[in-house]
Amino acid sequence: MRVFRLKRWVMQNVGFATALLLLFVLLITYNMMHPRGFSSAVAIQNSNEAVAIIFVAMAQTLPVLLGGLDLSVGAIMTLTNCIASEVVNGSPAQMLFGAVLTLLSGSAFGLLNGCIVVYGRIQPIIATLATGAVAIGLALAVRPKPGGNVDDDLSWALTNSVYDLADTYGFADGGDAWWIRPFADIPVPILIVAIVALVVWLPFKRSVTGRTVYAIGSAEGAAYMSGLPINRAKITAFTLGGFLAACGGLYLAIQTSSGNADIQQAGAYTLNSIAAVVLGGTSLLGGSGGAIGSLVGAMILRVISFFFRILDIDPLLQPLIEGFVLLTAVSVGAFRTLRVKNKLDLFR
Amino acid sequence: MKTVLKMATAVAALAFSAHAAFAGPEVVSGPGADPACFAPWSKETKYFKWDAKPGPYKVAVVNGFVGNTWRIQMIKTAKAYAEDPSVKDKIGEFKVVSTGTDAPAQLGAIEDFINQGYDAIVTIAVSPEGFDRVIRLADKNNVVVVPFDNVLDTDKVMQINEDQLEMGRTWATFLLNELKAAGKTSGKILEVRGLPGNSVDRDRSIGIHEVLDASGGSWEVVQVVGNWDDGTAQKVTADAIAVHGHFDAIAAQGGTTGVVQAMLDANHPMVPISGESENGYRKLVAEHSADGLKGISIGQSPGLVAIAMKAAISALEGNTMPQLISVPLPVADYTTLKDGVNYWTDLPDNFFTVNEFPPCGVNISGPAIMSQTEADVK
Repeated sequence: MRVFRLKRWVMQNVGFATALLLLFVLLITYNMMHPRGFSSAVAIQNSNEAVAIIFVAMAQTLPVLLGGLDLSVGAIMTLTNCIASEVVNGSPAQMLFGAVLTLLSGSAFGLLNGCIVVYGRIQPIIATLATGAVAIGLALAVRPKPGGNVDDDLSWALTNSVYDLADTYGFADGGDAWWIRPFADIPVPILIVAIVALVVWLPFKRSVTGRTVYAIGSAEGAAYMSGLPINRAKITAFTLGGFLAACGGLYLAIQTSSGNADIQQAGAYTLNSIAAVVLGGTSLLGGSGGAIGSLVGAMILRVISFFFRILDIDPLLQPLIEGFVLLTAVSVGAFRTLRVKNKLDLFR
Repeated sequence: MKTVLKMATAVAALAFSAHAAFAGPEVVSGPGADPACFAPWSKETKYFKWDAKPGPYKVAVVNGFVGNTWRIQMIKTAKAYAEDPSVKDKIGEFKVVSTGTDAPAQLGAIEDFINQGYDAIVTIAVSPEGFDRVIRLADKNNVVVVPFDNVLDTDKVMQINEDQLEMGRTWATFLLNELKAAGKTSGKILEVRGLPGNSVDRDRSIGIHEVLDASGGSWEVVQVVGNWDDGTAQKVTADAIAVHGHFDAIAAQGGTTGVVQAMLDANHPMVPISGESENGYRKLVAEHSADGLKGISIGQSPGLVAIAMKAAISALEGNTMPQLISVPLPVADYTTLKDGVNYWTDLPDNFFTVNEFPPCGVNISGPAIMSQTEADVK
């Protein structure tokens, strides 16, 4: 009975299941080849590198589920990164306030995107192209030169293992208490991503608004005729996208203890987020997939480049090889086209 | 079982490292080793000393952006230098990766190499800030991190660069001397600047203006932005010539081939000029210097990577090193240009002529590596 349910789940989530399997294989191979594979230090390094792109990919998922694209996610990450570099310091209360302010500003920017798309009736891809430029402009205004001073202890504590977190802030006997031992080697960044996924994404997906987002992506007309709250869902989706991108920006600021209005980096993150969404099994046509898939997709994207550091590959050929691997990975997700019983299915 | 053992060792090593005190370099007083090559930036520069480690060393180069001639030449130089007889035996393992303009990826790559037990990591930073965490980790694990070219705003790591301010000063001094020789003590100068907002552009321009202001002559300086790019520089120079008609001298920071091309196209008289080290620019100066195109050429050399590698190895051997190392400016002017020596008529315009630094024993010439195939330099 259980096998049957697993099989059904795999059939229903074939893209996500493939991505998960691929990530598992890549990660195991990487760790086996790494001189310090399967250690906490490697897990910490891997997760630190992946957090920003994971959040931006999760942010991109929402507009894609609606059947659109958001070209401003990288820019929102950069903007919030710059804001955080100004406000996340001082006393613990001030830092908390700064973090909340950062997340709110990202959400507000997402809300603005949503309102332009819904009330301005402009295609998301065009609207966000413009607002993305606005976000970069604001980021440059906030921080014309790279810099800022995010609290060092906060940076150290949140980019390491649970043990270091406890050690830095001196709770749980500085990390030596018996009850924290089982978790001591878990990287904090993984916990942060897991908490956001569980507390923000999953409840949203199960709500009426969340299901409406999927319905709009599948068939907007049908969703409208069924009386679903279309406008509310669209605005919420963009706002949540802004919030998730802000999580990425905030983490980036904590990780680097600084902010940098890097235009090229913003562009690279936007493009990579789209690749991650597709790798994670979300359809660019909208209506199927999810942010957890994008999380996995973003990690695959990162793990591919990890291999260049342990294998001897000519540095000038690395981008070429990365491109081919990516193409192969995306093609694996397209294998469903070989199994369709009816050609019309392909138009779904 | 093997994996379990490996994990146990790793966990033990981690637990140990977590309790170990802050290691890293000791701040000592100078002078440092090999001062002809590793010249301290200024008198205030402090000196670092790491505990000597037995070789051979594992060395990694973590590049950011890749995709212009300079970076490709830099990567090829790094690979060629790793095979150079003077360091080959000291380098056990050597890797080069490019992360693109992505700060987390670059930081991640550096941290990965620290985890892999590399001894030295040479890098061109994608951002002047944000490396605190990896510097802390490197110090903990006694790894030498050496940023060069685009350096960091910190004095906690050993860094290597050319003095951009001095470069600007040298350019302006040359121009003033040439103008004086022609009997001019005032006039109009065109300044072609680089990428706006970049510290290199800022420092070079400050250097130029410092010397011009100090000369006492009345110089009218017209500034245009050329982004260090031949195409852009050519366009803005052509525009400036169209508007202003005549300049007495040109101070360009880069894209100099384009600048001279614009002068030729507009039939602008050949005047004294300063510029970068592009092969095309040196070709044009050699060709037209008799007509008055008296040029000076100073470059930010892709060969800096080799000096950074050499400095890293020297630090690992336990030598005293300056925290900020100033590499001598590779200067050539119209009197010293020689085909086949410091420029090459049979090679493309867009490559950077200065690659070798004799005081450092870095003798890999640009054309030697650019004309070779990938297979040859391995």
